Parts: sequence; structure tokens; C-alpha cells
Amino acid sequence: MSTLKHKGKGPQSMTANELRDGFSVWLDENLDWTRDFSKALRTEDQDLIDRMHLRAETDEKSNLVVGIYFIDIEPDTGLPARYREKFRVNGPSYDTADLLETN
Amino acid sequence: MYRYDEFDAQLVAERTRQFRGQVERRLAGRLSEAEFRPLRLMNGLYLQLHAYMLRVAVPYGTLNSEQFRMLAHLAEKYDRGYGHITTRQNMQFNWPKLPDVPDMLDNLASVQMHAIQTSGNCIRNVTCDPYAGATAEEVEDPRPMAELIRQWSTLHPEFSFLPRKFKIAVTAAEKDRALIKAHDIGIQIILNEDGDVGYKIYVGGGLGRTPIIGQVLREFLSKGELLAYLTAALRVYNRYGRRDNKYKARIKILVQETGIESFREQVEAEYATIDVSDISVSDAERDRISSYFAPPEFEALANEPKALTDALDANRAFSLWAKNNVAAHKAPGYAIVNISLKPKDLAPGDITATQMRAVSDMADKFSFGELRSTHQQNLVLPHVKQADLPVLFEELEAAGLAADNINLITDIICCPGMDFCALATARSIPISQAIAERFADPERQRTIGEMQIKISGCINACGHHHVGHIGILGLEKAGVEFYQVKLGGDASEHAEIGKVTGPGFSQEELIDGIENMVDLYLKQREAGERFLDTYRRIGIAPFKEVLYA
Ligand code: SF4
Repeated sequence: MSTLKHKGKGPQSMTANELRDGFSVWLDENLDWTRDFSKALRTEDQDLIDRMHLRAETDEKSNLVVGIYFIDIEPDTGLPARYREKFRVNGPSYDTADLLETN
Repeated sequence: MYRYDEFDAQLVAERTRQFRGQVERRLAGRLSEAEFRPLRLMNGLYLQLHAYMLRVAVPYGTLNSEQFRMLAHLAEKYDRGYGHITTRQNMQFNWPKLPDVPDMLDNLASVQMHAIQTSGNCIRNVTCDPYAGATAEEVEDPRPMAELIRQWSTLHPEFSFLPRKFKIAVTAAEKDRALIKAHDIGIQIILNEDGDVGYKIYVGGGLGRTPIIGQVLREFLSKGELLAYLTAALRVYNRYGRRDNKYKARIKILVQETGIESFREQVEAEYATIDVSDISVSDAERDRISSYFAPPEFEALANEPKALTDALDANRAFSLWAKNNVAAHKAPGYAIVNISLKPKDLAPGDITATQMRAVSDMADKFSFGELRSTHQQNLVLPHVKQADLPVLFEELEAAGLAADNINLITDIICCPGMDFCALATARSIPISQAIAERFADPERQRTIGEMQIKISGCINACGHHHVGHIGILGLEKAGVEFYQVKLGGDASEHAEIGKVTGPGFSQEELIDGIENMVDLYLKQREAGERFLDTYRRIGIAPFKEVLYA
């Protein structure tokens, strides 16, 4: 696991995986789940963070998503702080499937 | 090949039906994730970094063409058009969707395959010498014994919740192609002084965060004793293995903490309480299983037929491939063909659905419909007529599978790493690709000779880096990937754990460092020496010097 632990300070995003398809998702401004991290809500506002938490828990209970957790966001880049989370945002840097699509 | 009996078929069908119900209940919200997770893992379904991953068991790495075609079908219909061969000879799909998985399992069951016991703290898929049944080096085909262990261990009520996972590997040759000394239990089929066939049992080997080479538990075990003796060893482990700390829960730690002598005494004491006849199978049953692995009907042929020698003379590409990828077969006029899944542009062990179908066709045409997966993430066609090699080579070329790099520097073992794996600390695929690119020149690869580079994306060591001639471990600090190097590991019958050279490197520094070490070896080597031999002769210091230059 990454040596950078979740601090829970500074801007936060909420992430999970879709139950059906398994893809990584993040909560957006409307507190809906998006597969596109660029649309993810990144906020330090504690009220919003509480609402994100509630929404995620509700959606986990209603079996939309699994494995909800907050991630730290770097204030200057807007990207996840932890290396692993940076990766989840981008998808694999190499996937044989991409090669198949370009052929 | 083994065909399921009625019991097997029923068991797998039952299990698939159960899992379909479990998935339906999960999707409808009647099972929570906490309840569902252990159930999906028992059926080989993981949730990885980006998506679900389904691990399909390939018992002892043996497949028939029909099964491989089915894997191609799954790759195309339910995944993204390819599969990945793992270092435990299994096949993984990186992108399945939960609602599709019961259908995938149904499809697998239709060709006598499943994903049971590819996860969890149970006895996992038994791995095996990929040359089984084809090499003259073996005492006998180890697969009937592997199949016996598979049947015995499948859903074994006593051993379904062990302190930790349990891996068994088997071989029947002195030359170890199954890495038996890096397994919880390794079994070598041997002949004793009286010429009786039996088993030499190794215990307590393993890689992971505490790499240990297995030690001999029993020098000779007669055939009828196998299952009873394994039961005794597993019972001692089940009783005393540490459940308080998952990092100390493997049998290797128990053996290390107990000492091999005391551990052996405990196993023997337990064994003495077992009525062997209760557990062992009859000769008739053993014969029944063996009959499924009866050698195909080889024709009476001579070695080096004209069709082969002519092609060797006429076609340099073929001759280089044949020299490197083809191994001797026990039947005259036949050959064992290694198909490299390490072309420059694919991740090690990946194979597309189209290629899977092509290989299935080749297996039908040239190898009695049989193929193997290897722990080195390659494939084997075990029984090819030497006279057919030139045509087979053409078909491999057409399928993009004619890389002639088996056992060379670009035949890299590489786990999925951070590109797919939820446990990873760093990427491994880009490292293997950078090495493949740096050493792309085939002539240079041949000059370097046998070289095993193995890469893991975290301390769990699925990429076997501890036993690579050069082993690479991906780590991360403060958001930056770096790579630690080990030297002098050995995955053969002379198994050895490599030594860490020192601080890690960035990817670029790493590739330069490897090249420096290879250049040093080429300068220093004496006649016939591989990289590993030169390393053993001159020691780690000169290699470290150029690695950190
Ligand atoms: S070694 Fe680590 S990163 Fe690689 S597959 Fe195993 S657990 Fe995943």
C-alpha cells in the first residue's frame, strides 16, 4: 500500500466502485456518481463532506456502490494525493485492450 | 486429459447455480457486501483497482483446445478481448461485470472448468511441470498425482479455512520447471534405491514478504501414503499455524519458528494416528485417473526428419526460433514447443482472444488438441511432430506468437502491478516493456543467453522477483515509484533467494543499471557461463558498482 496515508485534511473527494460493473466512481457536485474524476466534487466544506458521506453510505446500502472512502486531494493540482488514487483516476497506463482497439 | 466424473460435474454445476443465486441476491440487495465478498472470492472473483477480476483455475496448467477456445469466447464476450496467464498457470480476466459472472462460470463448467479455490485460505490450484507427459526427464507423468490432489483438496471440509492460503507444486523431473521449493508443499516424484516410484516432499517454501526456500520434509514417501501424509502435514499446520497475524500465517513461518526437525516430528506423530487406508485411494482408482493421462498415440518416427533439417537450413528465422523455443520430447520425431507470450508490445502473459483461437487450432492440428500454461506466463504445445515444426512456425508468425525469446532477457515474468492490482505499490508492466525495448535486438539477446528477470509490483511477490537472476520489486515513497533490485535468485532445482543490492531506482536509472550489469557480465563471463554463473563466481560487489555508477 501507499506510504502516503489518508489524512482526512484539506480537500476531499468521495470514491467507491460500482456494484454491477465494478468501475471506479467519484461523487460529483450533484452527489451523483461519475466515472470521470474530472467531474468529481473536491471540497473542504465540512457540511458538504458530511453530505457526501451520508450520500455514499445510503448508496452503499442501496447496493449502487461498494467500498466507499474519502480520498485526500492535493489543493494545488486537484488530483488525489495518494499515488494509488492517482492511478485509479487514470485507469491502467497499459492495457492490452487499448492495443486491440487501435488495431 | 482428465474428464470430470459425475461427481465433479455435479459439484461444479451446483456451485455455479449457488453463485448465480448469490449474485442475484447481492444485486437485489438481499446480501450485503460483507456477506457477499467471501462468497465471490470463493468463486475467484476479486474487486481490483479499476474493476472486477475473475481468476479461472487451470489445474496443473493443462488445457485442451476446446477449453482454450472457451477462454477466448469469455475474453471476447464478457471482457475486453484478452486474458492474462498468471504465475500460477491460471487465467485472469481484468474487466468482467458482476451480472455476467454466473454466465461466465456456466460457460466454463460446460468445458469442465471453474474458478473455485483460486482465492481464500484453502488449498489452491496445484501447479505442475508444463512439460509433464512429454519430457524424457521425468520419472512418470506427474499429472495423475496432481489430479488426485485436486480431487482430494477440492472443497475439503477440514482444509477450507486454513490459517492462510496453501499452494502445492509438483514435478517428476530433476530439472525443476515448477518452482517446487518456493511452495508451501513441493512434491517431486522420484525413484528410490529399489527402483520404486514415490515422492520427495518439500515444505515451507514461499516468496512474498518473507521469502524462504522449502526444506525436505520426507525423503521418500511411497505412493499409497501421499494423501494421508499430506493430511498429517496440513493438520499440523491447521492446528499450529498462526492465525493472529496474517503476515506470519503461512506454513513457512510455522516451519521456520518450529524448526524443520520438530515440525517433521509433529507431522510424523500426526501421521501415526491416521489410518492410511482410510484416506488413500485404491490402485484401481489411481489407475483410472492415470488412464486419462495416457500418452497420445505417437507414431513411430525418427528424429530430425528431412522436412525439419531442410527448413533449418533454408529459413534463418525458423532456425533461431527452433533453437530457442523447442525442447526435446520423449518420443522420437516429436518436440515440445514453447510459445512465448512476451512479444515486445504486449504485457507479459497477455494473449488476445484471436490468438487463443489460433493456438487452439494449432493444438488440434499439431499437438493432439493439448496445450499447457506455464508459471513463466508462456504456453506450451507438448507433442508436436518435428516434421510439422516449420508449418507450425508459420502459423505462429501469422498469429504474432513467434517471439524466439524463451529464457532470454526479454522473457520476463511480470505481475499486473499497479496497472490492475489493488494491492500494488508500483507499476511493473512498464518496467518489463522498457527492458524489452532496451534489449530489443534479438542478436544481443542471444549473445546474453539465459537470463531470468522477474518483476513484482509489491512485496507479495507474485512476479517471483526473489528468484529472478535479476529481481525487481516496485515500491513507492511519497508518491513516487521506485524499484529495488535483487541479484542472484534462482528458480530452478538449485533454488535460491536473491540478495538486495541496496537503495532503489527510478525507472530510467533502473534500465540503465540493468544494461550496465549485463555489459559487465559480457565482459567478465567465462566460456559457457550464464549471467547467474558469472554473478556466483565474481560476487555481488562488481555488479553493485556498475549498478550504482
Ligand atoms: S505482487 Fe503485488 S502487485 Fe503484483 S499481482 Fe501480486 S499482489 Fe498484485
